[in-house]
Amino acid sequence: MAIRTAIKVSNLTHTVTANTGDLTILKGINIEIKEGESVAIVGSSGSGKSTLLGLLAGLDVNTSGEIVLYGQAFSNLDEEKRAIIRGEYVGFIFQSFHLLPSLQAIENVMLPAELKGDKDARKKAELLLDKVGLSHRLTHYPNQLSGGEQQRVAIARAFASSPKILFADEPTGNLDELNGKIIIKQLFELNKSQGTTLIMVTHDNELAKKCDRHMVMSEGSLVEK
Amino acid sequence: MVNFAFKLMLRDLRSGDILTLLMALIISVSTVTTISLFIDRLQLSFEQESANLLAADRLIRSDEEIPKNWQFKAKEMSLKQAKRTSFGTMIFSGDALQLSQLSAVTDTYPLKGAYLVDDTLFARGQPSKQPPKKGEVWLSSRLASLLNVRIGDQVEVGESQLTVAKYLVRDPGSSSSAFAISPRAVMNIKDLPSTKVIIPGSRVRYSLLLAGEPSDLENFESWVVPELNEGQRWRTPVEKGERIGDTIVKAESFLLLAGILAVVMSGIAMALASTRFVKRHLVQVAVLKTLGATPKVLIKVFSIQFVILFFIGALLGLFVGWGGQGVISSLLSGLMSTSLPEPSVGRLWLGIVTGLISMVAFCMPMMLRLIKISPMSVLQPSRKIEKNSLAVYSIGFIGIYGLMCIYTKGFLLPSIMTLAMLAIGILVSIVGWLVFKLGRSLTSGATSGWQIGFASLYRRLLPNLFQLLVFTLIIMLGLVLVGVKSSLVSEWQDQLPVDAPNHYLFNVQKDQIEQINASTENLRVLRSDWYPMVRGRVISVNGKSIQTLYPEGKGEPELYERELNLTWSHSLGKGNKLLSGDFSADGLSIEQRVAKAANLSLGDTLTLNIGGNIVSLPITSVRSVDWSSMQPNFYLILPKRVLDGYSANFVSSLFISNTNAQPFYKSMSQHPTVSILNVGDILKQIQTIIGQLSEAIQLVLLCILIAGALVLIASVRSTLEERLEEGALLRVLGAKKALIQQSLVVEFGALGLFSGLIAAAGAEACVYALQVFIFKSQASWHPLLWALGPLIGISIITAIGLFASRIVLKVPPMHLLRDF
Ligand SMILES: Nc1ncnc2c1ncn2[C@@H]1O[C@H](COP(=O)(O)OP(=O)(O)OP(=O)(O)O)[C@@H](O)[C@H]1O
Ligand SMILES: [Mg+2]
Repeated sequence: MAIRTAIKVSNLTHTVTANTGDLTILKGINIEIKEGESVAIVGSSGSGKSTLLGLLAGLDVNTSGEIVLYGQAFSNLDEEKRAIIRGEYVGFIFQSFHLLPSLQAIENVMLPAELKGDKDARKKAELLLDKVGLSHRLTHYPNQLSGGEQQRVAIARAFASSPKILFADEPTGNLDELNGKIIIKQLFELNKSQGTTLIMVTHDNELAKKCDRHMVMSEGSLVEK
Repeated sequence: MVNFAFKLMLRDLRSGDILTLLMALIISVSTVTTISLFIDRLQLSFEQESANLLAADRLIRSDEEIPKNWQFKAKEMSLKQAKRTSFGTMIFSGDALQLSQLSAVTDTYPLKGAYLVDDTLFARGQPSKQPPKKGEVWLSSRLASLLNVRIGDQVEVGESQLTVAKYLVRDPGSSSSAFAISPRAVMNIKDLPSTKVIIPGSRVRYSLLLAGEPSDLENFESWVVPELNEGQRWRTPVEKGERIGDTIVKAESFLLLAGILAVVMSGIAMALASTRFVKRHLVQVAVLKTLGATPKVLIKVFSIQFVILFFIGALLGLFVGWGGQGVISSLLSGLMSTSLPEPSVGRLWLGIVTGLISMVAFCMPMMLRLIKISPMSVLQPSRKIEKNSLAVYSIGFIGIYGLMCIYTKGFLLPSIMTLAMLAIGILVSIVGWLVFKLGRSLTSGATSGWQIGFASLYRRLLPNLFQLLVFTLIIMLGLVLVGVKSSLVSEWQDQLPVDAPNHYLFNVQKDQIEQINASTENLRVLRSDWYPMVRGRVISVNGKSIQTLYPEGKGEPELYERELNLTWSHSLGKGNKLLSGDFSADGLSIEQRVAKAANLSLGDTLTLNIGGNIVSLPITSVRSVDWSSMQPNFYLILPKRVLDGYSANFVSSLFISNTNAQPFYKSMSQHPTVSILNVGDILKQIQTIIGQLSEAIQLVLLCILIAGALVLIASVRSTLEERLEEGALLRVLGAKKALIQQSLVVEFGALGLFSGLIAAAGAEACVYALQVFIFKSQASWHPLLWALGPLIGISIITAIGLFASRIVLKVPPMHLLRDF
């Protein structure tokens, strides 16, 4: 069986209007990523990595070019439809965790399933939190958890909707080496067991090395290494 | 989805802004509900009492039987009709007999209003739309006591035996014949022929009552009035009643306009709370979007939360409002001799509409911005939604303007009020900006609480100017009320003191006085002094008899029309003022209004018939009398020597309130010979209550104050994150807790001081304008306002501000390291 294409980008450019005039952040990007691959994107600060990641995940609409996610082009979809696709295919992990502060750990993990109206949300969430080693902190609020623990909750939440593609923007950027390693380990374990495609922005060479493909972003252009 | 939305909201409750929102909603709904329900009760009571006044829309009163063809004509014009025949007669029971005022009525009586009857003596009574059945009679409690009969007993009226079926509490349509001192009874007109009490020559009053469409009534009026003879009168409900109706409507608009300030304040608190809610949820919503929440889902989630909040808030608000009007009513119940009718549930819509408009105008725009947030902002936190609070607040003000138009049923007053508020807003902003800037430049540096406090005021300029405006408005309104209270009260009360007498005691013998005094004191019934009283009639003026002066009674002044109550006195009574002449001279003292009406002056001689003796006396003094005072007043006061020989009865006037009416009547049943005259015109009582509405305004002011406090709390909260960070930072840098506390006191104290001062200036201007243009009284300076304003401002605002930001004092420096 031929391996499916998870995401295909052709001639992607992105221009924003800032108060100093138009600013082209991405200048003609072409990539194709197969299902199950893991991709690391590195590059200096301000080179456009987060912008690219956001566009790939359909968080924003690009200026020109095309992004096709599992056969569906984003560019002509409205926010409503893009959100539905996100809910179905996409998971996210952020540098600053972004857990909902008013929700307990377990409730944070339940969110994606609850949004879909899944009845087994709690059971699934418990299972996932167990996998990231937090079964003893289910009812803790984010501000009662350390940074590393918060990120593990975030990983559990990202996998809760069984995404086909997982986007991570510097997932270890806010963590120390030890915690970073734990996160990487758990991330790749879950990734393997669920066969997820992983696209990750990182400054961490160790993490980048673990990925199948490496790309470097430089002033809005992407080069595969 | 409902479940999910509800859960999210519950989990969010800890943050406090949902609670603020809820509180604000409750305050606006309950304020408006309280006002509209209370006014509704006054309105209902007014309508009922107006109906009871005539017991019909129109009435013809006649000294002889009403011609049959009038009744045919009325039927032809499709008017409803009833008949009433009233006369004084003896009622017998065994050995007992008593002169009473008996009316016989048709089954259709009353056309408007209702009887009040009861099964127990001296009870409050239940309404009854039907008169007594054939063979039955209703007796007033006093009459039943005098005859010593109870329900089920027989009494004799003329040649008939009738069964006592009820005790009569109120007889609709009889309130105008206040001078019928005999106790009342009602029977069915079908029994009248068999009693044979009406014989040629007996004094009987025949009434034909009519009700129907106004146009039909007018047609009948134009047909029947030319037919009326000497002894017949066409009667319409008194004009006074209509005026009171107007006053009630005006009072409602006025109270609601005062209430709108509470609604505005609550609205602002709601807007601030939802701003903070939105701020806190921006990233959260963006995260939810990355998790696949579509705009539709989010709109659903937030609308469900919105609806749940609205339901809880509106329900609690209605509940509190219902209680609020109950409290006002019971506070004022001492002024009424009957209780107000229950408010109608149908009036609750005003509170509900107020809540809905407030929510939509003040929360919706914010919520919509939240839903519009780009999910990209999770990756680039700097990406914020564009700020357009001006647009948001304009939607709020359009909503408030709409509400004001609903309350006042017009556009003029709301437009004036909005413009005035806008003008005050601009003024306060300019003054505040100057003051904060000046304060900041005078205290540069950051080593003392003064410096930090003023820096804080200047840094958060916009929210602080806003608070300044809100508190200036609140304090100003309060001060204006204080400043004009006395003018306002006298204007509204229309010279009617609260405790104008509503009952008179007649025929009291000297030896009964002590006992009656004891029971009035016991029941805390307000009572005047006792006056000796002898009845007499003026028969001629300056030697000319009344008959020749006024043939057939045409244009006859009241003084000559009926038997008068005469008294003697050595000194001018309370409320009497000598206008001319000498009170102690051996002659008559006359009240000025009747003197004017009868065209009498000092030196004229009146001849009186007192118990068969004829006395002529010159007028030696003219008095003015305060008719609203608690005293019984007399048109004529005679020298003691003239009346000395007569056996005098004593008279006193009383104010009997709703609460002590029943026990008082009961205690008076021990003195069956004493006549109690109830002149308590309930319409007058309603007017009195309206006069007391200034009390209700104070309650509204309290609501405004609570709403204002909510605004302060909400706006402190909206800067709380920032304050916490600053507080923690200062602590990290080695600041003591006392320093932070001092800076907060300076910040809120200055805010309070300036709003108090600006409010005092504004209030002084308003009071001046009111005094000069509305009350037309001498303008005066009010040092009290200038002391009260800053004092209230500083104390209240500092207290609330410190309360709302108390966690800033407790924040550990660790806060900087943890994400809250
Ligand atoms: N909406 C926007 N308006 C203006 N400038 C923008 C906007 N979005 C991104 N930028 C700019 O585009 C550039 C790329 O931003 P991006 O966040 O993608 O960088 P990055 O590679 O993720 O950097 P870092 O490693 O620091 O996270 C930055 O200079 C940023 O300021
Ligand atoms: Mg980035």
